[in-house]
Amino acid sequence: MDDPLVVLFAAVAIIGAVSAHLQHDRFNKLIAVGITFGGIVPFIVDRGYLDVAIAISLIIPITTIIMLLICRRETCDT
Amino acid sequence: MIALYIVAVIAVFAVCRASIEKNTGRKLPYVNVMNFAIAGAIVLLLDHPLSLVAAAAYFVGSTLEANAIASTYAGGVRRG
Amino acid sequence: MTPEFILGCIILIIGVIAAAFPRPKTYLSRLISLEIPGLGLLLIMIAYDEMLALLTFVAVTAISTFVLVRVIERKEAAQ
Repeated sequence: MDDPLVVLFAAVAIIGAVSAHLQHDRFNKLIAVGITFGGIVPFIVDRGYLDVAIAISLIIPITTIIMLLICRRETCDT
Repeated sequence: MIALYIVAVIAVFAVCRASIEKNTGRKLPYVNVMNFAIAGAIVLLLDHPLSLVAAAAYFVGSTLEANAIASTYAGGVRRG
Repeated sequence: MTPEFILGCIILIIGVIAAAFPRPKTYLSRLISLEIPGLGLLLIMIAYDEMLALLTFVAVTAISTFVLVRVIERKEAAQ
């Protein structure tokens, strides 16, 4: 992975992380965490850890879906 | 090599567009575009037989995540 | 100084700021912000080639998120 490519994928990750802090709605926050995860995966793959990339790609969406349970609960209450 | 740059530029454009967008329902198509671009970049980065499996796992996981968020968003608004 | 290490430090600092001062001051937004320093720490572990530590860290993060969601759910139900 050469320098312009590192800058592009790092831009994806940093825009996602800053956007997760600035958003107010909780669905927008979850979307921004997903964008940050998408920016990080190419670095893991470029390092050669494909099995780690497979495991992380299957664990992080499960974490998001667990968090969505409590989002739905709060939306019903209000 | 040029395909990798095109895919990365598409990913950055989709992320900028998704961050600027105010409406949550209109954010999700751009997030899907970014997921397709990253899945393509995973395949193009490394010449290894397992990279196809990694791209498939990332594609399945991220699509499941985006669809779960969209489903909860739509259902929550209708019920609430 | 690999690019993974530098990007991991940047994301770790942004995530710590986001988790310490969440914008809507609720439990849920703090829990969502807690995901970001986890991803940054994962990238720093990648830079040091610690694969077993990384898999353990990701699994423990998922389990602790599940436990915290149960705690917040109980707290919301009590109010």
